[in-house]
Amino acid sequence: MSNLYRDRSPYSWSFRIGGGRRVLDLPLIAWLTVIWILLWGTLSWANLVNGVVVAVSLCLAFPLPAVDLGLRLRPLGILRLAAYLLYDMFSSSVEVTRQIFARGLYHAAVVAVPLRVRSDLMLTATAVAVSNVPGGSVIEVRRSTATVFLHVLDADDPGEIESAQRSVWRMEELVARAFGTAEDIAHVTRPVPEGNPSP
Amino acid sequence: MNAWGEAADLVGAVLLLLGCLQCLLGVIGMLRFPDVLSRSHAATKPQTLGMLLVLVGVALRLRHGIDLGTLALIVFFQFLTSPVASHLVARSAYRTGQTGSRGLLRDDLDPQLSDGERQGE
Repeated sequence: MSNLYRDRSPYSWSFRIGGGRRVLDLPLIAWLTVIWILLWGTLSWANLVNGVVVAVSLCLAFPLPAVDLGLRLRPLGILRLAAYLLYDMFSSSVEVTRQIFARGLYHAAVVAVPLRVRSDLMLTATAVAVSNVPGGSVIEVRRSTATVFLHVLDADDPGEIESAQRSVWRMEELVARAFGTAEDIAHVTRPVPEGNPSP
Repeated sequence: MNAWGEAADLVGAVLLLLGCLQCLLGVIGMLRFPDVLSRSHAATKPQTLGMLLVLVGVALRLRHGIDLGTLALIVFFQFLTSPVASHLVARSAYRTGQTGSRGLLRDDLDPQLSDGERQGE
């Protein structure tokens, strides 16, 4: 632990033990400690100290690669995203109920939706947000072109495919405004790609 | 117990019931849908909402700060992990051709996958 130096981020320190690089990332340690305390269910000094010890040992034992996630937490954006997710879940639950009890057969489709954001974090977060609301199931994510492939039920109705695409783009914008950097937000303010997205 | 407590208990009970109904709906969907991909719709989406409702119901009955934190943690991890699982199921189902006997109305992914194989991706 000789040459302790500050990392690029002001809240993390990295150093070397033997041949391996170790990073102590303060936000990560704080988050792990919060989880530890919540799991124990009581807020006490003993839990706090133990939590920090466990978190630091975890970070030392299982080092994560040093990546710049580009994660920003924007409280207003997060609130808006959460509200939209809730609204979407309730309004779509009616739709899924209808599909479940609908008689007769339907046609499903796999639809490509090109995203405007480029960063890995935004891509992942958008895919996770889309998977959590009814109406779209992510089958494949292409990182190189930032394209999400959705499985859409009820594709007989042409409006269904379009509305699935629109909801992904809406989600993408909300996610970028909740967690994205300024650059990500600039990306999502561009107009959505027009026309048929398939190549 | 005051009136607010009773009201919270009542709302909590209603939410628990609604959440259970929502989960039941998901199970019925799994029975009714014909193929893996459609079933994964029914298995993941109503469940997430149902679990959210159940947990809010539980929170309204418990009403302790630290319990709320634990419940929030459950919701957080549920939201984070269930898409990963359902994505992997959907991905392997698609790649092994389990798209249902009726086929897909439109498939944007298939040509891209074939391209990728030709380019040796």
